[in-house]
Amino acid sequence: MPSSIRRKIAEELTGAALPFVAFCIALNLTAGQLTAALKIPLYLDSIGTILVAVLVGPWSAVLCGSAANLLAAAFGNPTMMFFIPVVAVIGAFTGVLARLGWFRKWYLVCLGGIAQGVLAALVSAPISAYLFSGVMMAGTDFLVLYFRSMGNTLMDSVLYQGLASDPADKLVSYVIVFLLVKNLPQRLLARLHGAENLRPPERTQ
Amino acid sequence: MTPRIDISVKLAVVLLLWVCAFAFSWMYQALLCLVVIAVRFTIPAFRPQSQRSARAFSRFLLYSAAVAFLVLLLNSLLIRGGTSYGTILGFALYEEGLLFGLRTASRLLLLTYAVLLFFISSPLKDLIRFLQTRGLSPSFTLILLLTLHFLDHLPARIHQIFLAQQARGAPVDAGVLARSRALLSLLSPLVLSSIVESIDRGTALELRGFLNRRTNCEASIPSGEGWNFLTILILILSMVILILTIFRWLPG
Repeated sequence: MPSSIRRKIAEELTGAALPFVAFCIALNLTAGQLTAALKIPLYLDSIGTILVAVLVGPWSAVLCGSAANLLAAAFGNPTMMFFIPVVAVIGAFTGVLARLGWFRKWYLVCLGGIAQGVLAALVSAPISAYLFSGVMMAGTDFLVLYFRSMGNTLMDSVLYQGLASDPADKLVSYVIVFLLVKNLPQRLLARLHGAENLRPPERTQ
Repeated sequence: MTPRIDISVKLAVVLLLWVCAFAFSWMYQALLCLVVIAVRFTIPAFRPQSQRSARAFSRFLLYSAAVAFLVLLLNSLLIRGGTSYGTILGFALYEEGLLFGLRTASRLLLLTYAVLLFFISSPLKDLIRFLQTRGLSPSFTLILLLTLHFLDHLPARIHQIFLAQQARGAPVDAGVLARSRALLSLLSPLVLSSIVESIDRGTALELRGFLNRRTNCEASIPSGEGWNFLTILILILSMVILILTIFRWLPG
């Protein structure tokens, strides 16, 4: 890993951020249990990455998403390993949006969630098409087959499937993270770097 | 005692299988999938390290077999081209779709079996230690080990919060919208408690000087012992197959 990236990660990962990133990696892997307990048809498998991006920073979010996918492969879902570039993009993009202050207003959060979904679909489409020929061992495979049966190319079909499902999933994840951080006590948030991303900008006289 | 194979050799085997997944035709890929399954049962160093890993491997075999069958069936039904092989419930099966399905399924199975074989036979703590000897920083190591700790404890904590919120009257059994709102009442205490725990752990780490003694931590870990001969051999083989495949793809 280049030393400049290492330094940036080290700058973000101080104090409470280090254990918090570990918790968010675990949250990415266990969020499915929550949605299963409530019988909600959502994945929320990048909610931890988005939380880290907002509360810690973009580099830590890239680390969080990559480690979560690596561990998901270790725990019996090997296809996740090939999607590390996608979660890296999710983490970096969300981190940049948070630094720009997009997590202060609900409408910017919604817009960011949709943009994130489109970006995730664009990044995952080539991996899904060229490595797995569109088969991800998930329910969305039927969508790919449907688009292919309509006469589209494999790449187009995978991209359409991504554009049909990813923006909705990321929008929900963004809104959940926005509501979560909005309800957290400022006293605790202040211990994490990202708290600055949530404070309204100070007015200059 | 189980004979040990160096983690670097196992990683090289994964790389070789990945190269084969793109270089060879579907028949060789299917054959390699069978070889991987045979290796898991015959070579002691590639056997699962725990009952949990063994169960994960068996579950994934069944799951992937079902997915491979579905991929074959749906592609041959929906992608129309070439000769028709017959009908199922009035739907025709086509050659082009069947071949595409075979290529896709065999590649997918080989890619995933290779990763799975590595992870079921290599304990995560050994992998982390290997990465540490190859230069992984103590902070990353700590994050990975803490994640394993959280993974052990999170399900119980989620269950506890779920029961507590249910007892307080959270609509965990109502309609989809109400249940979605209840998700926040479960996530909020979970994230809140994790931040509190993170602050405690972070303070403890700072007090022990963890974040400022990078050189000491690195010094305590033995440095990489050079590359294993078998690893180099497998890596060279992978490179040769890759180069030959690229030459085969080139026009003319």
